Amino acid sequence: MANFMQNSVVNYACTCGLLNPITKLFFCRHCLKLRCGFCVCHEVDSHFCSNCLENIPSSEAKHKKNCCTNCFNCPCCQHTLSARATMVVVPKKTDETTKEGEGDSAKAVTRKMYYLSCLGCRWTSRDVGIPDQTVATGAWPENECSYQTRFNALLEYYQAVVLQDKQEKQEYIRRKTPKTHKFPSLTDRTGLTVSMIRRQIGWPDKNTQKAKPVNISPSLATDELDELPADIFTQPINLRNVTNIKQRHGQPSDQPFNVNKLYPQRRILWIKRSLRCRQCEHNVIKPEYHPTSVKYRIQLFANYHVPDVLLVQNEQILRAGQSSYIVLKLTNPTLHDVSITIKELPTLAEELQMIEEFKLACKIKENTATSAAAESLKSITSSPSLTSTTLSRQASLIEEPRLVEQKSNVKLHENELKFVLNQRDDSSEFDEDVQTPREEPEFIIWRKSNRASIRLNFTTDESLQAGDMVKVGFTMEYTYVNTVSNTPTTHTLSARVFIDAGKIADE
Amino acid sequence: MEIADTYYSKDEYVETASGNKVSRQTVLCGSQNIVLNGKVVVQTGAIIRGDLANVRTGRYCVISKNAVIRPPYKQFSKGIAFFPMHIGDHVFIGEGAVVSASSIGSFVYIGKNAIIGRRCALKDCCIIEDGAVLPPETTVASYMRYTAKGTIEGGQGNPNFVPAAMQDQMVEYTKSFYEHFLRNPQAG
Repeated sequence: MANFMQNSVVNYACTCGLLNPITKLFFCRHCLKLRCGFCVCHEVDSHFCSNCLENIPSSEAKHKKNCCTNCFNCPCCQHTLSARATMVVVPKKTDETTKEGEGDSAKAVTRKMYYLSCLGCRWTSRDVGIPDQTVATGAWPENECSYQTRFNALLEYYQAVVLQDKQEKQEYIRRKTPKTHKFPSLTDRTGLTVSMIRRQIGWPDKNTQKAKPVNISPSLATDELDELPADIFTQPINLRNVTNIKQRHGQPSDQPFNVNKLYPQRRILWIKRSLRCRQCEHNVIKPEYHPTSVKYRIQLFANYHVPDVLLVQNEQILRAGQSSYIVLKLTNPTLHDVSITIKELPTLAEELQMIEEFKLACKIKENTATSAAAESLKSITSSPSLTSTTLSRQASLIEEPRLVEQKSNVKLHENELKFVLNQRDDSSEFDEDVQTPREEPEFIIWRKSNRASIRLNFTTDESLQAGDMVKVGFTMEYTYVNTVSNTPTTHTLSARVFIDAGKIADE
Repeated sequence: MEIADTYYSKDEYVETASGNKVSRQTVLCGSQNIVLNGKVVVQTGAIIRGDLANVRTGRYCVISKNAVIRPPYKQFSKGIAFFPMHIGDHVFIGEGAVVSASSIGSFVYIGKNAIIGRRCALKDCCIIEDGAVLPPETTVASYMRYTAKGTIEGGQGNPNFVPAAMQDQMVEYTKSFYEHFLRNPQAG
């Protein structure tokens, strides 16, 4: 497998035509297609705080404005703040006149007090005058914003507006759709309720009261502005006391000008994503909920299903118009023998046809989706609930397929290289290496369990200049055993592989 | 691209029964406190301060040239105390990195010249970029990437920062690193 920290020299063309290393690709077992990050739907799976690693349910996360309640970020450098404990001598409350300290333990007690400190930039909560707390977490004062009530009123108002809009729309749909039958379903015939009669007559339901937005006072623009203070022209600015853009954006409600107005910021929550194939809507990735878990419940990585191609080495000096070869190492990650055929890339016409087929497949899916949506709309109109409209899934957009940008600039010598890779066997690592002599095609250099090295001969294009990258492209056809259904079926799939073989040498 | 074979001479490295390959030109202080759990490569110039506290590493770890492993300390009102350090399996520590984390999970990649401040917690499957500096007591959660700029990016399921199959990648990478780190056949 390619090293993920370097730019990969072996890239696979995704179904949409973008090139990616195999580590960034997924394989949908239901469509039997490669999917890149753009061909999958990204969904929020769970929220968690990346500092205290606490899982927070999505409803609670929404309530907490997607912030962790316990963790803070430094307003100066956006690093995590940590609570420091200090021993502070607190004068006893009963004896207020005594001076603190002086070693008089009868009149003063030492208490553990906490303050927040940034270990990245040495900012402390004492810098801005936040008093020390007696507990490490939970008691830190909320940074109240002066416009908070106004914002809350606006929020409430617009939520009501949306609700009213929705109700009116539904009323309209209900009026427009012709009544098919007096009793839309069998259950209605048996339990004729008051609300049902009301609905049949066309009266609004009694229990759903009309949402009416409360009036709010509109914002008013004013012409009167305060004059700039006189000292802004006379006093030199100390830039160390002025906040930078990042610090102001960290505190968007007041965007302070001076550093002494910076307050600890609640840490924003992180998410785990699950990825879903846009064509068949099956998950390709679904992580475990627990924040510290690194496992997946569903993991359809491409390198579990598609033979992995690795460039071993290229000792040849590449020159334009001359024949050369590269050594590739192929690995079969599946539990079935795979027969692989390496051939030329599809021509432009074939590639266009592939795109057409892909589009057609998407269109069929879209049509079925829209009919399903219409079906669900019907059921919605008969039910008075408002929430059901929001529950129906939106049809996902499909990444527009395109031609592969990278072109191969070599000509392969052989039209077809055919060979079989054995199944993966995890125990073979511990087995003794027994060489079973067998008839091997000429291009196979080395073979061990599920891996084989092959030699790929090619001639570089005449037109290449010194310093140009030689790009070897080929189509890899491989058999794939689909085990989704009860009876395993074998398919022949193909992947387009592009390899950077090296640069043309200087003359 | 496959990792190229690197050869070492017999005099330079010691191979233990459990498969650890440890360079002779390393500073392993307090070696009785250092546990390498097998198939660990410790390269020339690395320093492991076992004299401060226990250091345990899992299997298939790579400690590259000139890296420093130093158990973290915490300041108390009466002096300081050192804490043991645990490193999981399949961890790569790049050249010249200085590591004072209190715990490092499995499948972690630490880049070249990265500085991990004291008492940091690196969870499983995270990446520290080359030259990143982690202030003390930083937590890097799973599937996060700590960049050289000092930001944390990524998250599980985000394919742009940490590969979704980070676990397999690190297993593959550290195993092939070990397998391509060979004794020079000519020098004997």
